[in-house]
This record gives sequence, C-alpha cells and structure tokens, in this order.
Amino acid sequence: MTAAAVLASAAPLTAGSVAAPVAIAGRSSSRSMSLTPSAQRYTGYAAVAAATTPTNPGVFAPDPALHLLRRATFGPRPSDIASIRRDGIDAWLSRQLNPGRIADPLGDAAWSMFPLASATPAQVRAQTAAYSWDAMIATAMATLGRQIFSTRQLYEQVADVFANHLHVAIPAEGWDTSPSYIGDVIRPFAMGRYRDMLLAAMRHPAMLLFLNNDVSTKAMVNENLGRELLELHTVGLGGGYTEAEVVQSAKVLTGRTITDGAFSYNPDAHWTGPLAVMGWSSPNATAAGGLAVGDSYLAYLANHPATARNIARKLAVRFVSDQPPAALVDRMAQSYLDHDTDIRAVLDTLFRSPEFWASVGQKSRRPLEDLVGAARVLDMLPGPKGADVLVTIQTLYWVVRDNGHAPLGWDPPNGYPDVAAAWNNAGSLVNRFTMHRALVNQWWGGMAQAGPTQLVPVTPGMTAGQWVDALSLRLLGQPMAPAHRDAVLSFAQVTAGSPVANALWQAWGAVPLLFDSPYYQLR
Amino acid sequence: MTTTGPLPSSATHSVAALQTAAGCQESQTQERERLWGRGFNRRRFLAGGLGVGVAALGSQLTTARVAYAAPGTTTGTLVVIFLRGGMDGLSLLVPGADPDLPTLRPDIAVPASRLIALDRGFGLHPSMAPLASLIGAGRVAAVPAISTPDLSRSHFQAQDCLERGGAATGTQTGWLDRVLEVSGPGTTFRSVAVGGLMPRSLAGVDGAISFGSLAGLKIQGSGDGPWATATSAAIQTLYTGVADPIAAQVMLGIDAVTTAAGLAVGAGGTTAAYPQGAFADSLKDVATLIKRGTGVRVACLDVGGWDMHTALGTVASGDMTSHVGDLAAALAAFAADLGPLLDTTTIVTMSEFGRRVEQNASGGVDHGHGGVSLVIGGGVTGGVKGRWDGLSTAVLQQSGGDVPGANDYRDLLSEIVSKRLGLTAGSLQSVFPGWQPTSLGVMA
Repeated sequence: MTAAAVLASAAPLTAGSVAAPVAIAGRSSSRSMSLTPSAQRYTGYAAVAAATTPTNPGVFAPDPALHLLRRATFGPRPSDIASIRRDGIDAWLSRQLNPGRIADPLGDAAWSMFPLASATPAQVRAQTAAYSWDAMIATAMATLGRQIFSTRQLYEQVADVFANHLHVAIPAEGWDTSPSYIGDVIRPFAMGRYRDMLLAAMRHPAMLLFLNNDVSTKAMVNENLGRELLELHTVGLGGGYTEAEVVQSAKVLTGRTITDGAFSYNPDAHWTGPLAVMGWSSPNATAAGGLAVGDSYLAYLANHPATARNIARKLAVRFVSDQPPAALVDRMAQSYLDHDTDIRAVLDTLFRSPEFWASVGQKSRRPLEDLVGAARVLDMLPGPKGADVLVTIQTLYWVVRDNGHAPLGWDPPNGYPDVAAAWNNAGSLVNRFTMHRALVNQWWGGMAQAGPTQLVPVTPGMTAGQWVDALSLRLLGQPMAPAHRDAVLSFAQVTAGSPVANALWQAWGAVPLLFDSPYYQLR
Repeated sequence: MTTTGPLPSSATHSVAALQTAAGCQESQTQERERLWGRGFNRRRFLAGGLGVGVAALGSQLTTARVAYAAPGTTTGTLVVIFLRGGMDGLSLLVPGADPDLPTLRPDIAVPASRLIALDRGFGLHPSMAPLASLIGAGRVAAVPAISTPDLSRSHFQAQDCLERGGAATGTQTGWLDRVLEVSGPGTTFRSVAVGGLMPRSLAGVDGAISFGSLAGLKIQGSGDGPWATATSAAIQTLYTGVADPIAAQVMLGIDAVTTAAGLAVGAGGTTAAYPQGAFADSLKDVATLIKRGTGVRVACLDVGGWDMHTALGTVASGDMTSHVGDLAAALAAFAADLGPLLDTTTIVTMSEFGRRVEQNASGGVDHGHGGVSLVIGGGVTGGVKGRWDGLSTAVLQQSGGDVPGANDYRDLLSEIVSKRLGLTAGSLQSVFPGWQPTSLGVMA
C-alpha cells in the first residue's frame, strides 16, 4: 500500500482531488476553488542568489538552495533537497509558485483523515452536537497534517501567513462557522489576489462573528470589525485613518450578518447616508445597495498603497527577517500595486531580491515550524495503519499546542507573532528539545521513518566522525563546525576516529542534538 | 541508554479539557449580543498593531543568571493565581448583610449565618475554613467589585485584557513581563509559570520559564543522570560562540534544567499537608523554589473550573463549595510550608470577570463583570478593601445586572508590586502605561 493509500484508509480520498489542475482549497473539490494553473514561468532567482553574499550567515555554509529550502518550506525532506539540486532554484521555485500544478496526494490524504475539517456551518450543525468543538479542532489538526505532508510547501507557508493576517482563531467562539473559513477564504486566494481574499473574509460568517459585525446595526454600531479592517487587515496602524473614520468604516459594514450559520446581508440593519474613509466615499443612499457599497470600500482598501506596504511587510517578516529592509518592503509593495494585489507578484519580487538571498540565518524557528520541520527533515511518512497515523497527527497537534503554537490557535485577532523575540524563551526551548527526542525516537509510532541509527548508511570502516558528518549532511544539509561536531561526538563518548559502532549506541541522544543546534533552530 | 520516553502531558489532553479551560462556549455565544452593545471593542486592548513583538530584547536576556539568590538580596515573591473561567465573587466574598442578595439568588446565596466573618458586612465562603487562622491573623484581604475595563464577558478577551495589564494600549507584552523588565536582573528562576502554559501575563522579552512541574523540567528522553548531563553540556557547546539572542535563551533553559535537577536531589520534603491535585502540586513546587533560595520574584499558577453556569450548588454540596475548598486547602498548605517565608511572599488571586448577580434558570450564574480578588500573606492588611456600592436595584440597573467594576485591577496590582517587589511610581508607569494608581489599602 502506498503512503497516500494508508492515509486515505482512515477516510476516503476525495475523488479528483489529486487530478490536475489540483484543487487546493481545504475541502472537497466540489466546493473548493482551484488556482488557475498559470503558464507564467518564474525565473531569474538563481542569478540574484549567485550574485549575492549573505550579510551575516552565522553557522551557515554558503548554499543558496538550502537557504531557500529553509525559508520556503517548513523543513526540507530529502526529496526536496534532491529536487532543487536536480532542477535548480529557478525551476523549483517556479513550481512552488504554481501550487495548482503540483500533485499533493499525501497532503490531500492527510486532510481527508479529518472529515469535519473545513466543514460548512450546515455540515457542522448536522454532524456534531451544538457548540461542539470537534469541527474546529479537526480543521486545525488537518491543517497541521497538510503542513507536514504537503509537497506544496511554499503555498502552505503563504497560507499560514494569511491565516494569521486575516485571522479567525480556532478554537474560539465560532464552533460552527469558523471551520469553513480557512477553506473558503484563506486557501483559495493565498496564491491569488489579496482583494479577493479580503472580500471573501468580509462575507464569511466566521469573521463576522469573530469581530462582532453580526451584531453591528445602524442603531448600535459595533466598531470592532470596522477598526480591525483598517488596523490589521488593510492599511495598518499608522495607515493614516482617524477615529472618526473608524466609525465610518464600521458603518459601511453594518448589515453584514449571520443567519442560521450562513452569511447574509440585512438591509434593515445597514446604516445609510454619505460615508468617507481615507479618500473613499459613497453616498450610500439605499439600504439595499449597502452590500455593494461595502464591496467597493473593501476593494478600495485592498488596493491602497498603505495596504500594499502592510501585506509586503508581513511577507517580508515571514520570509526575510524580523525587521526587513524598508527598501525591499517598498519594492514588494509596488509589485502588489502594479499587479492588482496579486500575492504571487509580491513573492516573485521577494525571491528576486538581494535582500532575501543576503538574509541567511536571520530567522529562527517557532514551535510549529520546529515540529513540522523536524517531521519533514526526518522524512516522516504515514505508517501502515491509517488509524495510527490519525492518532499521531492528533497527538502532534496537542504537542505543538502545549508549546503555544497550534495552527490557527492564536486567540486575539492579530495572528501569531512572527518574530523570534516572541518565541525563543528558555522554557519553550527546553520543551522543543524534548520534542526533538520524541520525533527522532518515534515515541508516538504510527509513522514510517528511519530510526536514529538508520538515517545515514553505515559503511564498513566508517568512523564516528564520518558518521556525524554524514548525519549533518543528511539532516542539516551541511557539515557542522569542528567544535559543534565535537560536541556531538563528546556526547556519544567517542572521538572522531572511533569505530562508528561505538557512536551508534548513542544515536538516540546524538541525533536530536542536531535538531537542538543553531543549524536547525536558525534558518 | 534510553530509547523511549514518557508521553508528554499532551497525551492526556482532550478537547473537553481545553474547552473547560477556556470557558463555556454556549452561554458565551448566547450572551454576545447583549454585551457588545456596550461599545466594547476587542481591539481596544490589543493595540500595538504590526511589528508585534519586535521589541528590543531586555538587558536581562544577555546577562548570565545565577541559580540562587544571594542572601538578603530579594524583596520577596509574588504568587499570582489565575482562577480561569470567571469566578463568582459573590459566592466567595459574600455581602452577607445585603438585603437584595437572597432575593436575587434564592437557591445559591451563601447564608449569612454560615460565613467566616470579615468586616464591612462581608464574610467568606465557609469552605475557606482551612484559611481561618490566616484570616483571623489579619493576613487575608479581599477586594469586591474588581474588574478590568473589559465589558465583553468573553473569557478569551477578558483574560487577555487582564493579563496584558487591563486596558493598556500599545502593550503586547504581559503586565508581569513588564514588572520584571523594570525590576532588574535576577536568577534563573526569577519568573516562573508552574503547571501549564506560559500565561499571557508573562509573555514578552523577560525570559520567564514555564514548566509543568519541577520534576518534569528536564529534557525528556535525554536519559538517566549522566546522559542528561551530557545532553545539557552538548547543547551548551552547540550554542557557544553563536551570535544570536537564541543562544542566551538556550543557556538559560539549560541552567533551569540543571538547577531543577539539583533541587530534586535534595528535595527534603515537607510536613505541610498538601491536598491532592495539580494546583496543590504546583504550589508545592513554588514553595520548594522559594525555600531553596532560587530567587523567585514572580510565580504564576492557574486554576480552572470556575465557569459555573449550572449547578453552582450550596454550601453543603456543589461545584462552588468543592472548588473553594480545594483552593483554600492548597493555599493553607502552601502557607504552612513556607512558614516564616510567608512574611515575604504575597499571594493574589484574579479572574477574568465576576458573574451576574441574579442566578439563572440552571442554578448557576452567567458571565458578568465585577469579581473578587483575594490577597494573602506577607505585608497584607486584612479585611475588605475598595469600593462597594451594594446590590440595590439602582446599582444593578446602571450595571446591567452585573456587580459593577467599581475597583480596578490596576490599582490593586500597582499597590502589590510596589510594596512586594519594590517598584517605584516611575517604574509602575512602564507596567500600567497611563494609569495613575490609587491605593486600595491592601498592603501595609
């Protein structure tokens, strides 16, 4: 049985979900949107990489392909490294920027193991008890499963950025409405136009509930969503709006509400009369026209230069550094405006920038990126029993939740912080060190992966030093500095010239050290 | 050699447990409409916007810490206990003399005759009996009608507001993180969260350490004694010479693991009679850290299960009497365990909101506003402190049926940290920006 078949054995694969063009939204292909496969070839990245010297690479060897893999994936599987070595940076990145053209049987199958993942409000209501958290948790677990198994790694990263940007927390109040949000709003547009994503979000019951627009009426305007729309979702804090404009913004959105778990527009609740925010204005004369007025407002905000900067900075913080260079953000913002809010155009500019290729070692892993990355680097694949695979994905969810970073799980509306200062605290790091030992030594079973002594071939006459070097190449893509290599050898109570057999006894504790190390924790 | 390890605590997780911890969804959803009409805005407490967490790293991060405090160098320990779920203040600190309460709560009001008397007409729930001697000695203060300005009645938002320091704008860090930031360098264990996740109150740049238990503060799966030591040594070497802030945090983490292992070796036990339960276990760990001189300045603990929409019960039986009893028994054991060190240890309880004054149809109480905080231990002036307007019809009309938020957590916490941890008025401005604190008189 193939790995995909094993995953699928717990829940049937959705028919057609692996055909090209591939449905990349969260739910079954019938309800999901697929990215139009773009004929566009993205090239020119490798040339910039070759011409750029990393500013402060720290422990990292000069190797642009590995730099790209550390940033564009949660962590590279051996197949990812083989693929980029074989095809080159341009071909690899071009493919990742066209996720609709990449088949993703493992990712699809992992998602399908959670039938309630991204279920519609009607499905949640029909299939779970009222106020059950089952569908919310299933959606978050399925998201984690996809991150681990998907071949569309860049797409998963970008989807994560936007899930945190137009954030609706899971689990939270929206037991029936929030599961479908990721599949309806985030995933279909993560490699599309931001304007489309924004418009979809502001018509989705999950967002309307999360930020209380469902109870905002002309008689009692709740400014929560109207404010966040400006402060978080579009022009950003300091984007140039006034408090009075926040109220206007909220009035634009009145009437967008929820009926029986579904989005509805209630003209009777819509505030009518002239409105103006940041250069946009409308007579907004009729209640019936209020929804269209809102859409025009949202489209205006999506295409605003301050929004462009806000989106550009989010992506630069994810992929370049915690404090990205202003000049790069400006160029990315310009691409956003030049290409009608096309997120891919912004990414293209990012990966074409010297700033990106110079930023080696300037990001670090957060707990989710640590867990998912380690699972991938270890090449964790589904084991022979689908039910066990399911349990392990569920367990990994609780593990990463314990470490404060469950997918979609940030409570406030601003999404998880994406900078090291928010994450790299001592207790969290100790927990991650434990996690490395669990993953390397397969505490949870269910998955197929090489054990710590089988990660690299042991050849006749091999020394302990050669074994650690081979491990470094296999797991980190490069050798470690002599002092760091010696730290691993010293742990194993061997010297570089010792027979490898003496080191293998300590593989259980030696291999996790490579994940503990700055070569893995930094990226 | 160890090739397998115990399952982390996550294996015991369930959605139900998480749901309990976060609060009851159902009533929250039902109540939203009424709440949000009051103009509360989720974002009000989350301002600060983009560039979240892009804060300059605190100087403490790059300072090597010592494991133990030098004698005479500490100002004591603040123990912050968060009662998750919205604790019903009117059951804990009861205005026994209030004529309206028995009418509004015919089935669940604590009878005045059963109260442990305090002053100003108030008394404590009879299940607080384990703390009777401390109460009698004037070492327990209680503040009624206390709240943040958050009117959402949402567990999530109200907890977030309180832990970030109550209505603070422009603050992404927790209020305790800011307390530590201004209180100067300290030991490895100067700020700890025991028993669960790092609470939002400690989130920030200060380098707090969270752990489930002292015994569990280790790199699990790193093997027995010598192997664990070798693992720690190897990790330290791997970060030696690494010029990234992560290196300092790794070293701090290894220090904590090493110190915890040392504490376990010499754990001399205690004669204090701790009850069973996770909360008591965590308190015992905090007592160990204090008694062993590890320089704990702030310790955070959580107690869940206060979201009593149904079957709150009576003094004879029910959720409230058992929860209060468990809390009091654990605190009494903690106080006994500390002995004279209680003089320099101050305990404060908080909860995200109080509950409705009127009981509901299910024999419980729904989400409200003003709650109750207890302050126990060193430096405390016993008795009921702060403003109390009663529960008259006029008061409840104005508050929409809640106990009003007549007292502000920022006043209480300002007074406690200034007295207990020696913060100056100037540094309090960094903790609660823009707030001019007024003393409630809980600290001598």
